[in-house]
Amino acid sequence: MKNWFKNLSTNKKMAISALVLGVLAIFIGTPNDVHKIYVNAKEMALSTVKDQDKISVKTFADWLIKDKADFILVDLRNEKDFYEYNIPSSVNKKMENLLGSDLMRNQKVLLYGNDNIAAAQAWFILKSSNYKAVYILNGGMDAWKNEILFPKLSAAATPEEIREFEKVKQVSIYFGGTPQIVSDGSATALALQQNKMPELPKLTAPAGNITPKAKKKKEGC
Amino acid sequence: MNSKKENSRGEKEFEPKPYSNPYLVGFGLGLILLAAFLVMGRGLGASGAVSTVVAVGVEKIAPEHAAKNNFYSEYLGDGTSNPLKDWLLFEVIGVLVGGFISGALAHRIKRTTEKGPNVSVKTRLIYAFVGGAMMGFASKLARGCTSGLALTGGAVLSLGGWAFMLSVFGGGYAVAYFVRRQWL
Amino acid sequence: MMPYFKFDYFGFDFSLVVAFIIGIGFGFALERGGFGNARILAAQFYFYNMRVLKVMFTSIVTAMLGLFYFTWIGWLDISLVYIGDTYIVPQIIGGLLLGMGFVIGGYCPGTSVVSAATGRTDGMVFIAGIIFGIIVFGEMFPLLEGFYNSTNLGRVTLVDFFGLSQGMLVFLIVLMALGAFAAAEWGERFFAKKNGRGVE
Repeated sequence: MKNWFKNLSTNKKMAISALVLGVLAIFIGTPNDVHKIYVNAKEMALSTVKDQDKISVKTFADWLIKDKADFILVDLRNEKDFYEYNIPSSVNKKMENLLGSDLMRNQKVLLYGNDNIAAAQAWFILKSSNYKAVYILNGGMDAWKNEILFPKLSAAATPEEIREFEKVKQVSIYFGGTPQIVSDGSATALALQQNKMPELPKLTAPAGNITPKAKKKKEGC
Repeated sequence: MNSKKENSRGEKEFEPKPYSNPYLVGFGLGLILLAAFLVMGRGLGASGAVSTVVAVGVEKIAPEHAAKNNFYSEYLGDGTSNPLKDWLLFEVIGVLVGGFISGALAHRIKRTTEKGPNVSVKTRLIYAFVGGAMMGFASKLARGCTSGLALTGGAVLSLGGWAFMLSVFGGGYAVAYFVRRQWL
Repeated sequence: MMPYFKFDYFGFDFSLVVAFIIGIGFGFALERGGFGNARILAAQFYFYNMRVLKVMFTSIVTAMLGLFYFTWIGWLDISLVYIGDTYIVPQIIGGLLLGMGFVIGGYCPGTSVVSAATGRTDGMVFIAGIIFGIIVFGEMFPLLEGFYNSTNLGRVTLVDFFGLSQGMLVFLIVLMALGAFAAAEWGERFFAKKNGRGVE
């Protein structure tokens, strides 16, 4: 068998190799099978412990205002919630479709759900399938509401807290929120209920894909 | 391998070596193309480099004219970096060097004009210019040339790449008969 | 993970060094294949030397198999490899025109560079022609823009188009290439006999 192959001309050897690889390809079918994942447990555990992969809602709001948007913001909540309200520039993706979606492995991906749980699960899925830069919006939509849209200042705030609040207020108003001063601690829950979510700008442009930094020059010929 | 022969002035000359086995060349070219994909995430090209040079030239002569034209401005970028620092341009400079090295090693460097026996050098050069102009125009219309679209697009199984490649062969065979005097 | 550049293994400036090195390989291969010589290239269209087809299809098959298996092993993220959008009508018209330019001028842009590098005057004139053609295109661009941007099908591959599995398509292309090679070998011998000239 070996001799038989050796005695062939170079061209025939190449042709046979190509044919064998071609036939094998039929059985492989689709090579980028997204259901297989590889896990580097230590690396993942380390980055979790160090909290390197969490971004606070305040930092994030700041980025949005300064238009430093070189990441894809992914909303993991259900469609209904997404269309009621979503953080500007986000795209809605279902957890089960994450790997088949148009997210690129070299993009910065920022995940949020209602809280951290869904985001953490999605983080694991993406991280283990070789996505390099995956982050969690710390606290998710709950934190976004509490800290950005409806920040509260207790009546008995220190001057320092008040100064801090003034800054937050600007941010909150930017995103259409309603900052409020709470006189009675027990009324907080009630106040939250009445908060009207800001109107979504008609879903045309903003909730689209922010492509990572438009290429200056095209790659083609 | 290098058989020497004497030319008319009695100087010793190297005979040009025959061209290599096309399948081996194709395999080598395929590996280079593959390397470009694996390292850069893009394929090869050629006409894009000329476009960059043209766009920069037009901008030098008539900056406003170039800025107004979407075609030129695409090759000029947004002004944050020198448009001549272009991947394809550096690649094509490499092609120039690589072609020269290979030609020198095989004694195939020669100041001459390639043509069929039944046509004058002048006619051949007019044909070359006309063909080049058609190719420059067509490669821009199709967004790529034989290397950028047919070869690269072919390997990544792009629909446009394959449609283009078949059209190139189609167009070539369609007019081959009418220009046969140039070659045969 | 590959492609390295897309994962920031090195920066833009170094990518130009890579471009130069890859270009050297590209130019070397083209010259070895005889593509610095217009007569060899044009012979493709008269069936007596099918080098263009042989080199082109072998390299497409090689690179295609490489991409397929690197993706399968998991070393390459194929979605990060640039695939241009398909603009089907401009690309077919452009292809036809380019094919005519090929047989009239004797080169294509890449091969004309090699031809000029090895001293061929026709290659140099051809490059001047390309520059002229691109200027004409650029000046006519406002008129052509509508057509240029028409029939955009997006990032379509043959896999999407035919609805076959990628592996099946790879196999079919290998088979087609091998068939084309067999036909080319036969055709060369046939036309050599008929025209009474050897294969160059």
